[in-house]
Amino acid sequence: MSANQAAQQAPGAAGQGTADDRSTTFRAVEGGNQMQSGEKLLVEAYAFIWIVVLVFVASMFRRQRRLDRRVETLEAALQKARAKSGGD
Amino acid sequence: MATSEALAAGTKVETAGSRSRGDVVFYTVLALCAAAFLITLHVIFFKAPVESTMGIVQKIFYFHVPIAYSMYVGAAVCFVGSAGYLARGTRGWDALARAGAECAVAMGVLVLVTGALWGAKAWGVYWTWDPRLTTALLSVLIYVAYVVLRAFAGDGDSERKFAAALGVLGAANLPIIHYSVQKWGGNHPKVITSGGGGLKHPDMKLALMLGFLTFTLLAVVLIWTRVRIELAASRLSEAEEEALELGVGEE
Repeated sequence: MSANQAAQQAPGAAGQGTADDRSTTFRAVEGGNQMQSGEKLLVEAYAFIWIVVLVFVASMFRRQRRLDRRVETLEAALQKARAKSGGD
Repeated sequence: MATSEALAAGTKVETAGSRSRGDVVFYTVLALCAAAFLITLHVIFFKAPVESTMGIVQKIFYFHVPIAYSMYVGAAVCFVGSAGYLARGTRGWDALARAGAECAVAMGVLVLVTGALWGAKAWGVYWTWDPRLTTALLSVLIYVAYVVLRAFAGDGDSERKFAAALGVLGAANLPIIHYSVQKWGGNHPKVITSGGGGLKHPDMKLALMLGFLTFTLLAVVLIWTRVRIELAASRLSEAEEEALELGVGEE
């Protein structure tokens, strides 16, 4: 038996069968961590990090905007009161 | 009269000067943080090698561990602010505690989710009741409780004191998270150890160090921004009360 034939007949990784099997059938992995794509999980993790950081920053930006609006309203009210007391 | 006016003017100038100096430092830290993010991402994805057994999913580690550290930073700031508020009772300490708790919640959620995504590949499950995972979840729930309490229970002195007590007691769980792996075992990896750790390539170590630097800067920026907003809000509400007492109403 040649080395090439031996390699073709040698069992592959666990659950993958021989080279002949692989050329004629496709079997799905059942259970375990092989169900998950590492690339997909990595992208999901980094996307989630960015989303949470952006939401946190956006919420602070919104609070700051609300605060600025309240300051403007108060300043306008104070100016009006000053003008009124100056007119009296 | 003239002296008091000059004094008042001098104080105003000094306050504006120190505020602008503070702004310069703040924006410098912000710029450093942005630069550190870009450099860290470059090192993680283009320099650090792919791990031989886990593959590319191991690169989650370079952010997951620094995020966990940032959660500790947020929680420690919350502890310091809470203890300071209980001792002194000033709004500055309270603002610090609140900012720290919010940072701890954001980072805690990130730790749990990034860890779960890594676990899906490494263990085949997103979650297991491992001692470190369980204690980390408990800590995040404590800080979620703090944030919810501050958001919905009003802003009175008793509510602030109650939250401060929670902030002090909540910190007791932090060393338990850290030592849980050593004391009770479990599945959680022990890559970072005092004996040099399990990162065998210098670029892996560099990526992790940069991750620590980036997330320390991010935690500082987030806490600082939140403290500034909180202090401004408390100053504004005091001014509003004063305006109302003077009969100046908002329309």
